[in-house]
Amino acid sequence: MNLPLYKFGAFGDEASLVVAFVIGIGFGWFLERAGFGNARKLMAQFYLTDMAVFKVMFSAVVTALLGVTYLAWAGWLDLSLVYYVPTYWITAILGGLLMGVGFVIGGYCPGTSVASMATGRIDGLVYVAGFAAGTLGFVLGYPLFKELLAMGDLGVLTLPEVAGVRWGIVVFGVVLLAIGGFAGATWVEKWMAARAEPGASAE
Amino acid sequence: MYGWLCKLGLNRALALLAFVLGAGALFAQVYPDRTLSVHETELLTASARAEDHVPPAELAAWIVAGRADYRLLDLRDETAFAEYHIPTAENVPLTDLFAHGLLRNEKIVLYADGDLPAAQAWLLLRGRGYQGVYTLQGGLDAWKDQVLFPMMPESPSPEEQLRFEEAAHLAKLFGGQPRAAASGGDAQLMDMSALQASTPAVAAPSLPAAGGGKSRRGPREGC
Repeated sequence: MNLPLYKFGAFGDEASLVVAFVIGIGFGWFLERAGFGNARKLMAQFYLTDMAVFKVMFSAVVTALLGVTYLAWAGWLDLSLVYYVPTYWITAILGGLLMGVGFVIGGYCPGTSVASMATGRIDGLVYVAGFAAGTLGFVLGYPLFKELLAMGDLGVLTLPEVAGVRWGIVVFGVVLLAIGGFAGATWVEKWMAARAEPGASAE
Repeated sequence: MYGWLCKLGLNRALALLAFVLGAGALFAQVYPDRTLSVHETELLTASARAEDHVPPAELAAWIVAGRADYRLLDLRDETAFAEYHIPTAENVPLTDLFAHGLLRNEKIVLYADGDLPAAQAWLLLRGRGYQGVYTLQGGLDAWKDQVLFPMMPESPSPEEQLRFEEAAHLAKLFGGQPRAAASGGDAQLMDMSALQASTPAVAAPSLPAAGGGKSRRGPREGC
């Protein structure tokens, strides 16, 4: 088997849209299953009362990381063909802050807003309209902040390269971080619940 | 064992699984080793089917169209590169070939003065699993001959005449100069002195249409 399928020509440009559609539907379905079609559930993350967002996203990272590692190890996946987004650290920080502010104010991130709209929520619909307008504005205004977007260009960076360690060490490190993070997140949830209801025990 | 797993609960069992897989990943060898592996027939058929080179005129058309889906690598040394290079080219001396951050899914066009250095680099890259590698047919010599200084055929048919006019237009875009046929005739109209003056050292022309070196990062992907 040769992965990535698209790079090995298993399907062309047009069929890739169908593949993207199917994956997109799957992604939305699982977002909804995780409860992320609801802004209250998402906002609970920021109030630290429900860490589901952290847990779901980090489990996805760990699952994908382990899958990619073992597929590459088995020789089925050519990692050098996988596209890496280049690092623009200044742009990434600015964009991350902007995204975070939008997330907190709007109650959704782009993916979850679409899932929310698909289930018929008005707030999701409004959010999607907002981010469609924002996207359009970005495209039209692109020449204005072209310079800004190229700030802090470090090229393609990967953690094993930057840290100068083997791929597997990074994988193991991320898995440990995730397991520790999940335990910590669960503890925080209980602690917040206890704080919300004085008298109830944290355990 | 099963009872113990049940007692552990799904979340803890999954965490345990991730821990075991993560620990196993410590020994993972995710990149193939650095030896060349050449598939003889594959390379030979690519070569026979002319899938391994780009004619100069085609490359010129790509540059004029501002296409950014390929990387053009100049394999000569820095001095030669500074003197003249094809617009949008990056200077990558042969020794730096693998240190230049080329990606295996990129379309790579190689050139040097003649065909040989580019062919060597082509074989090296293909041997390392780079799929979309091409050489500029005839190298920089052919580029000068066909794109910068196209030759007017001696007694052109109308079709040849038309093709020459297109080539002449292209030549001017790249700062070159069309040439008259080698021996006499009405082709004397062409300016022969320009040829001698400009053949060896052609200034790199500035092409507004040909996307600058900044934007060549391969196709945009990702979310």
